[in-house]
Amino acid sequence: MLWRKMFRDLNENKGAYIACIAIVAIGLMMFTSFSIVMDNLLASQENFYYYEKFADGFAEMQSMPYSEVDKLRSLEGINEIQGRLIKEVRVIFPGREDNVYLRLISVDPENNAPINGVRLDKGTPLKSGEMNIWLDNMFFDANKLELDQKIEIIAEGKKKELRIAGAGKNPEFIYAMRTPSDMFPTPDTFGIAYIPFETMKNLFQEKGTVNSIIFTLKPGADYKEVEDRLKPELKPYGLKSIYSRKNQPSHVLLTEELEQLNNMSKSLPLVFLCVASTIMYIMLKRTIEKQRGQIGILKALGYNNKEISFHYMSYALTIGTFGGIIGGLLGIWLSFFFTDMYQMFFNMPGLAGEFSLSYLFISIILSLVFSVFAGFQGCKNALILEPAEAMRPPAPPSGKSTLIEKVALFWSMLTVQGKMAVRNVFRHRGRSIFVFLGIMFTFALLASPWSMWDLSQEMLFDQFEKVEIYDIKISLAQPLNQKKAERELQHFPGVNRVECRAEIPVTLKNGWHKKDVALLGIPANSQLHRILDSSKNQVEPPANGILLSERLAQLLDAQVGTELNLESIMLKDPEAVKKIVVAGIIPQYLGLNAYMELTSLQSLLEQGDLATTIMLKIDEKAVPLLQEKYKNSAVINGVEDRIKLLRQSMELMGSFTGTIFVMLLIGVITGFAIIYNSSIITLSERSRELASMMVLGMTPSEVLSVITFEQWFLAIFGMAAGIPLTKLLLVGLAQSVNNDVYTMPVILSNMSILAGFAVTILSIWVAQRMAARKIRSLQMVDVLKARE
Amino acid sequence: MEALISARKLSKTYQMGEIAVNALQGVDFDISGGEFIVILGPSGSGKTTLLNMIGGMDKATAGELYYKDMPLHRADSKKLTQYRRHTVGFIFQFFNLIPNLNAFENVHLAAQIADDPLSAREMLEKVGLGERATHFPSQLSGGEQQRVAIARALAKNPEILLCDEPTGSLDFETSIQVLQLLVQFCKSMGKTVFVITHNSAIAEIADRVFYLKDGKLARIKRNKEPLPPEKVVW
Repeated sequence: MLWRKMFRDLNENKGAYIACIAIVAIGLMMFTSFSIVMDNLLASQENFYYYEKFADGFAEMQSMPYSEVDKLRSLEGINEIQGRLIKEVRVIFPGREDNVYLRLISVDPENNAPINGVRLDKGTPLKSGEMNIWLDNMFFDANKLELDQKIEIIAEGKKKELRIAGAGKNPEFIYAMRTPSDMFPTPDTFGIAYIPFETMKNLFQEKGTVNSIIFTLKPGADYKEVEDRLKPELKPYGLKSIYSRKNQPSHVLLTEELEQLNNMSKSLPLVFLCVASTIMYIMLKRTIEKQRGQIGILKALGYNNKEISFHYMSYALTIGTFGGIIGGLLGIWLSFFFTDMYQMFFNMPGLAGEFSLSYLFISIILSLVFSVFAGFQGCKNALILEPAEAMRPPAPPSGKSTLIEKVALFWSMLTVQGKMAVRNVFRHRGRSIFVFLGIMFTFALLASPWSMWDLSQEMLFDQFEKVEIYDIKISLAQPLNQKKAERELQHFPGVNRVECRAEIPVTLKNGWHKKDVALLGIPANSQLHRILDSSKNQVEPPANGILLSERLAQLLDAQVGTELNLESIMLKDPEAVKKIVVAGIIPQYLGLNAYMELTSLQSLLEQGDLATTIMLKIDEKAVPLLQEKYKNSAVINGVEDRIKLLRQSMELMGSFTGTIFVMLLIGVITGFAIIYNSSIITLSERSRELASMMVLGMTPSEVLSVITFEQWFLAIFGMAAGIPLTKLLLVGLAQSVNNDVYTMPVILSNMSILAGFAVTILSIWVAQRMAARKIRSLQMVDVLKARE
Repeated sequence: MEALISARKLSKTYQMGEIAVNALQGVDFDISGGEFIVILGPSGSGKTTLLNMIGGMDKATAGELYYKDMPLHRADSKKLTQYRRHTVGFIFQFFNLIPNLNAFENVHLAAQIADDPLSAREMLEKVGLGERATHFPSQLSGGEQQRVAIARALAKNPEILLCDEPTGSLDFETSIQVLQLLVQFCKSMGKTVFVITHNSAIAEIADRVFYLKDGKLARIKRNKEPLPPEKVVW
């Protein structure tokens, strides 16, 4: 019978309880979906790494005889070691103008269990010495290729045909990016190809050398020690870099993503569950106050405390159960969608959405725990009452002046309704704080994704419209003489301006802080690559000293004036350590770089006037001609069109619109639920007061204004407090998102503050409209007839 | 003389679940301005229903009810709100003050929405609470609260004052004070006052007494010489 009473009670205020269920469900939806996706990714990663023997260490050299690799095998701590040749080549797809690249990696077809093995999705084994390759499946699919199809590449300036023997994935390229400055994998223009070592050897006329080694460690071996043993062995062969799995680019991105998912799957749901619990607590407490008389009767009839408290807890349990089931199911459903999304970026086997009964169960349990807590807190007061006391009306709420009334000017400006509202704010402190926090939270939930979106757009736009403002960028395969390169291109028809740039891999050290980055040498007064300061004014690259990006400066713990040690294999003496002073720090959101003036960089390197990149201003019509002429040149690595780069990046950003939209929607629902609930609670609590005002002849909107004034009053402060919270949220998000590729600015865009205000106000307004409908149906006669 | 309020075959039926309750059945009367009316009757006789209809808080299910030329039985909720706002004042047994507003603010709340209000301050003084204007309802006694409620009703300067058991929760002395205020309002300002009560002694102060029974107007008694409230005893 009490169950029936509960369902009827819930039905009376179904709007408020549905909103509450919605918040519980949103929280658990996020928990379930993030957790499932994370579990999926983790399991898939672990499995993939284990079975394909993902390397523990990586090293890159200029060139080392293949035979040397065997000698290294005997080094203490090394379990297995493999040498390979890696080269990047252009692919020619007939009829396509854009540049497509393949990174060729040599493999040994005889080795059945190699390190970084390729898991073949389809196809046949590679045959040594034949012109056949395996492609990475992302590239294979994105370019709609077929098995046994032949693709044309340019190796050392010559066209060669390679037959596609298979397609598969490799733990080394789960997140495959061509350069560290790329933001996302672009499988249609960049892929990995695995080719027999013998074939590769012939393709490049390399006399049995390798330029990369990968190795696994013996159980218990320490990577650092092994690295120290390897370094002197590799130095003579032009060691470029040596790093552990921990710093492997694809692994870094995958672990960062997992970390981020882990944080989100724990923190966000907690916030939502707390909001929902608070609403439940307030609603339940209110219901119990209203039903004092009924509790008294139940007690008088002989119901014991346990039965009565269970009855009221059952409200919370019902909400919790519904919220848990709905949230769990939605989360499972959403995890399919998320898994699909991750599959676009992370190339791993076994990544598939699946129905998870255990997470459904966990989400219901979690939801029930929070509900029981809220329910118990809400109803414990009902139990203390003696039956006779319970049946008497509660002591009248005491009225007193509030502190704010001392501000005479403000107080005298208020209408009587305004005074009622302001006093209510201070009387019901708990609820006011709840509304205040709710609005603050709503605002931040709306403004932060908006800001992120806004700024990433601006960032991209700035990068390609204000910083890198060339039309075409030509990357050279090897450094060339600057003067020569300029002369070559200056006279090309349609070219209006030629500038050279040097991109030099360096290691910067400040004490024990150390970072490998690309140091860009930019010519003075450059019109094609401008360095901007935080107020977007052009900064000249310093003649003496170095400019660091903000994040780099942070990583190196460097300030203006700090003296850094610089090492580079591009120095005349690769062993030398140069000292250089930080001349300035500039914002940079894409990539992680240091900057110098080109000629001073050249004199620092003592290698002559070298350049690695040529930037051009060119007439649009001349571009195809240029592409045609240099496409197949051995000294040119790639010809990139800035507008195309911008468009590509914009398209990829587009895939995030969905996520942003979901976050906005969640913000709107939360704001709405909080305001609607607080209105409903206020209405039920003060129905007598409000009815009295109607009797006095006030219109429903005048009566509503008491409640709305109270909410707007809190909303102003809530939204204002939301601004720093948004900032805080952005700092948190930035910390979890930032990496060497992408630095999220912790700046609140004005647009996002405006949007935050607008959408928060809109959701408050809509919630108030809904509550207003209840005022119209307020029964004056019934309310006033009897004492509560 | 034209009637201020007139009722013809006025009926009200409540639907309580599956049972229809006839709260009022075909009531007829005419009331002219400045009358003091007491409505007597046992519980459930339809007193409050009648008062609510006169006050524009409830609508008739059959029959007609006019305030001057205005058909209250046909008025929409907007018109009824305007009617309550400018024409009617209410006083209840349980005061219904806003706990959050002090005495003055409670009165002012009503005054600010009327066309031709009386000064809230003066009204409070008139009911003898000038000194307690800044007190909140929880700091006032029952009698004081009821006097604030009267001041609140009067501040709108209404044509008609409707009182539902105004002395129902007050002691004898306070009740007399309240009744004195009501009579004074009626006689010195020429307003119409309705008082619902169980207490037949109070009927002595009325110009006319309506006896309600089972939703019907059983009889109307006219007092040739209404007693002043201070002479009433119970």
